[in-house]
Amino acid sequence: MRRLGRKWVEKLEFGLFTFPVLICVFIAFYIPFALTIRYSFTKWNGISKHPKFIGLDNFKQIFLHDANFSSSAWFTIKYAVLYIVLVNVLAILLALVLDMKLRSTTWLRAAFFIPYILSLVIVGFIWKFIFMQGFESLGSSTGLGIFHLSWLGEPGLAFISILGVSIWQSIGFYMVIYIAGLQAVPDDMKEAAVMDGAGPFRRFFSITLPLLAPSITISVFMALTNSIKVFDVILSLTGGGPGGTTYSVAYDIYRDTFQNNLYGYGTAKALILFVAVLLVTIVQLTIFKRREVEA
Amino acid sequence: MKRNQAVRILLEIVMILLSLLFILPLILTVLNSFKSFQEVMTDVIALPHKLSFANYSYVWNFINYPRLFLNNTIITVVGLAGIILVSSIAAYKLGRTKTRYSAVIYLLCIMPMLIPFQSIMLTVLQLAKDMKLSESTWGLGLLYWGFGAPLAVFIYHGFIKGIPREIDESAKIDGASGFRLFFSVIFPLLKSVTTTIIIIDVMWIWNDFLLPLLMVNGSPATKTLTLAAYTFVGQYTSDWQYAMTAMVMAVLPSIIVFILLQKYIVKGVVAGAVKG
Repeated sequence: MRRLGRKWVEKLEFGLFTFPVLICVFIAFYIPFALTIRYSFTKWNGISKHPKFIGLDNFKQIFLHDANFSSSAWFTIKYAVLYIVLVNVLAILLALVLDMKLRSTTWLRAAFFIPYILSLVIVGFIWKFIFMQGFESLGSSTGLGIFHLSWLGEPGLAFISILGVSIWQSIGFYMVIYIAGLQAVPDDMKEAAVMDGAGPFRRFFSITLPLLAPSITISVFMALTNSIKVFDVILSLTGGGPGGTTYSVAYDIYRDTFQNNLYGYGTAKALILFVAVLLVTIVQLTIFKRREVEA
Repeated sequence: MKRNQAVRILLEIVMILLSLLFILPLILTVLNSFKSFQEVMTDVIALPHKLSFANYSYVWNFINYPRLFLNNTIITVVGLAGIILVSSIAAYKLGRTKTRYSAVIYLLCIMPMLIPFQSIMLTVLQLAKDMKLSESTWGLGLLYWGFGAPLAVFIYHGFIKGIPREIDESAKIDGASGFRLFFSVIFPLLKSVTTTIIIIDVMWIWNDFLLPLLMVNGSPATKTLTLAAYTFVGQYTSDWQYAMTAMVMAVLPSIIVFILLQKYIVKGVVAGAVKG
């Protein structure tokens, strides 16, 4: 009898400890997710009591006839690829220099990191101000043509601006991850390589880079999950303009649901975004897992 | 060796110039927050003619700064306290129990990390409205419990596996069990991961935009700092001097905290990323 009693106590305790977190994740994720799936098969404006079931019509419309969706998907893919490559390459370069222990290292690290603690929406506004007002003053005082370009008014340039501002805001984060990775590379390994006569490039590619692999895995993963969901910075920097050329998928979903009141349609797009993120994550995890095992 | 020295100095100069690219936009923002409308329009780079806090007192009253600051604090504190409490006790039990249920519940806790917020934002809002959590700072704080739990459970779970079970056993012999065992013995041992989680989550919740935009943007009484800055710029697109003032007021708390706690923040962010 006592044993049985103790077992029950243990079970009860397990329940008491884990139940709260389950309620929380169900409210935040699983119930909304189930509702998203349900609404994605309906035509609904968000107000009427009864969403109308229309089967797969939303998905057909999205893939076959929605120019907004395809252009925003294309924008997001271009942005994600360029962002992942550039932010990681630049962050590794910065980390390598800061790892050389220059006199100003402490200041430099703080300076590069500071934008990361700011909200992206605000970063977008600060740069909007600089592009619109600051560049005008800079252009007239320096006479450089680069300041007279319409950085937010031309589709190609607006894309570069969004990319640049995103990198500006987050590079410090990736940099500190790489600095931590570099500090884990043993010094005697580098010294041995110098003794063996390996030049700086050789040293970097055959010693430092392979040992940075775990940091690269983390950073690429973070860069991917963040860039595929890009939203805030576009909202405040370009608002999707000029001429709707800088809508990302996340922003397109936001536009459909909250601005055009196409709730059913928007949730269908949201579901597609989820599947895309899931696939990309799985592919990436398997690739990196295999690579790390080989190394 | 001499050549090496020269390269280092050159590199140092290049890096300092590069770092200005990161600092100057912020300095420019502060400079223009002290200018009048005319000054901003004629020259953005010049120093303000005189140090005037007129913009600040205008924006302070207009957006009701103390109220916003209080809202941000409530949301962040309520959210953070819940995330830490709920996630740490669950991660502890899940880490100590080796049953099929335990494995399934752990998976349920961490899988949401794969769901992008934009995929569910609409239905989250719907659900929050039904549960009367929307349009309230406390309600928003409560919602963060669920949104913050997956990462926190994941980080705690990884750490708890490294705490020897003997500690639990000896505490049990001393007569502590259940919640008392956890809070008096285990929780203090989690201090380093708890710090990491606090740093990551404070930065996230304090600066978050989309969820607050959907949840508490309806009334000035529930807005956050970032939301107020966002609406403010929307209303005063050409009055850049006020917009810049609002920006400075929104980011100043973060920057002060960063300057004071720089070392811990950088360390916490790295630890969070490496464990996440």
